[in-house]
Amino acid sequence: MKHSHLRPVIIGAFALFAALLPYITGNLYYLHVATVIGVYWVLIATLNLLVGFTGQLSVGHVGLLAIGAYAFCLLAGGQGWNPFLALLTGGAICAAIGLVLGLPSLRLPGFYFAMATLAFGLIVSELALAEQWLTNGSVGMPAPSFPTPFDTPWGFYWLVLGIATLITWMTANLARLMWGRAMVALRDSTVAAASVAVPIYMTKLMVFVFSGFTAGISGGLYATSQSYITPDAFIVNLGIYFFVAIIIGGRGVIIGPFIGAAVLAAIPELVGPLAKYGTFFYGFILLVVVLVLPGGFGELITNVASRLRREPQVSTSIEPDLVLLRTAIRVKP
Amino acid sequence: MINHLEARVVTKRFGGLIAVDNVSLELRPGEVHGLIGPNGSGKTTLLNLISGYYPVDDGSIHVGGEDVTRQSVQDRARLGLARTFQTPKLVLSLSVLDNAMLGGWPDVGSGFLETAFAAPRARREEANIRERASTMLQGVGLGTVMDRRADLLEHTAQRFLEIARALTMRPKFVLLDEPAGGLTEAEIERLGAIIGVIRDSGIGVLLVEHHTDFVFRTCDRVTALNLGRMIAHGSTTAVRYDPEVIRVYLGA
Repeated sequence: MKHSHLRPVIIGAFALFAALLPYITGNLYYLHVATVIGVYWVLIATLNLLVGFTGQLSVGHVGLLAIGAYAFCLLAGGQGWNPFLALLTGGAICAAIGLVLGLPSLRLPGFYFAMATLAFGLIVSELALAEQWLTNGSVGMPAPSFPTPFDTPWGFYWLVLGIATLITWMTANLARLMWGRAMVALRDSTVAAASVAVPIYMTKLMVFVFSGFTAGISGGLYATSQSYITPDAFIVNLGIYFFVAIIIGGRGVIIGPFIGAAVLAAIPELVGPLAKYGTFFYGFILLVVVLVLPGGFGELITNVASRLRREPQVSTSIEPDLVLLRTAIRVKP
Repeated sequence: MINHLEARVVTKRFGGLIAVDNVSLELRPGEVHGLIGPNGSGKTTLLNLISGYYPVDDGSIHVGGEDVTRQSVQDRARLGLARTFQTPKLVLSLSVLDNAMLGGWPDVGSGFLETAFAAPRARREEANIRERASTMLQGVGLGTVMDRRADLLEHTAQRFLEIARALTMRPKFVLLDEPAGGLTEAEIERLGAIIGVIRDSGIGVLLVEHHTDFVFRTCDRVTALNLGRMIAHGSTTAVRYDPEVIRVYLGA
């Protein structure tokens, strides 16, 4: 996949801005919003691999977020574990649940897989309310914070930024190397993917388990960012919003859904007095994107980038180079 | 035979219709084997049985002496079976180079996590496959459009891209399903030259084609099907002048 010279500059500038944000704004509230964007991004970045690249429409990731959040609070709070260990354990639990959920459901055709994940999201949401012995029911539970230096708003922000950067890097590696091609291939043409020996079911499963892991991590961080969790933080709507973030961002582009994540986190906070219309704005943006920009913002970025590169679209006649072909076929690995 | 691709008396039924009826076919390394017959004679079905997209109802498929009848499409691809499709099956949202590189998938040894952390092996494999795929693309004549999205390619270029992808797999056998469909005479010439190079490199080519001039010009041996049954097989000359083949397919 082609790289423009502009790209490292943009990434560098954005990274610098993100790293220095606590110095740029003294406003703790903006910092909190930025932290929540980062927390959502940890989940959405890999959900994009699943939905955008691999084409598996999961709308139930909120269930994994909830399990990660409760696991973190129970282990780091009630059991007194080290918060980092609790965070990783929450991720591992969600990866295992992803495996158990994925084993039967990833064999289903697209729509039925979406329904299976929706059912999962609903079940988790109900269990969080009903199983009071574990979750305190609707009363909820406090979320522990991380040890110094991550116990201040900016310290926690940098922790989230660090984790989000790592996840972005891993996601980008997966997307740009051979596994990424395999994912897109099985999304667009299972026949073509099979013909080059891509293991379709296994690939889906790996992506699902990985996205389960980061959803669990995201859940732990989410709990700390909110200080206190209750079941109504994990209603199934949130799972649909995650999904929508990817539609807004555009599938198949790593950074596109970041815009979706930012919109998701920022809208309910920034519209302030209109907060009760948060969902309305979100729905409205979705409608506009689907009607005007079906490929999402990601596609817009790609199109602008290729326009800037001025790729020639002239028709060329095909002139095989038989000598080269002969050598290439006969070369032994 | 030990290094051949063989279909042994295979049968495929779709409901009451017998699409392939006790057909045997043997493809040797370094030969071009034509598969001809009228529409609906079972050519593409046979191709799908050999490459594993359909399970056989009867008979068996062998690659290099190994019985692959129960193996998946992917397993057969790993054993060296590559193919193209009557309607090109490309990943249209990826670039031409990315599509060709997909042919390198059987050589990917790096796991999911190795790739996520861009481990040296993952990067090395990526570089090797990129190198091989781009050479194949230059070889088939698509060197100038490698960065173009596959959906912006013209029909002929899509067919040649499928061949480049198949060759990137370093196959032992290549199955080509109507590769000359929609090509101009000049383009068919080039296709023939490419097939010649593939054959001379010791790869067995199975060529399903309606363009009979092209088949008789290119193939070493030919099998003719009609209504799912094999009506002739043997040297190109023998099949060309076979009375039954002339009657049902070639016309007088």
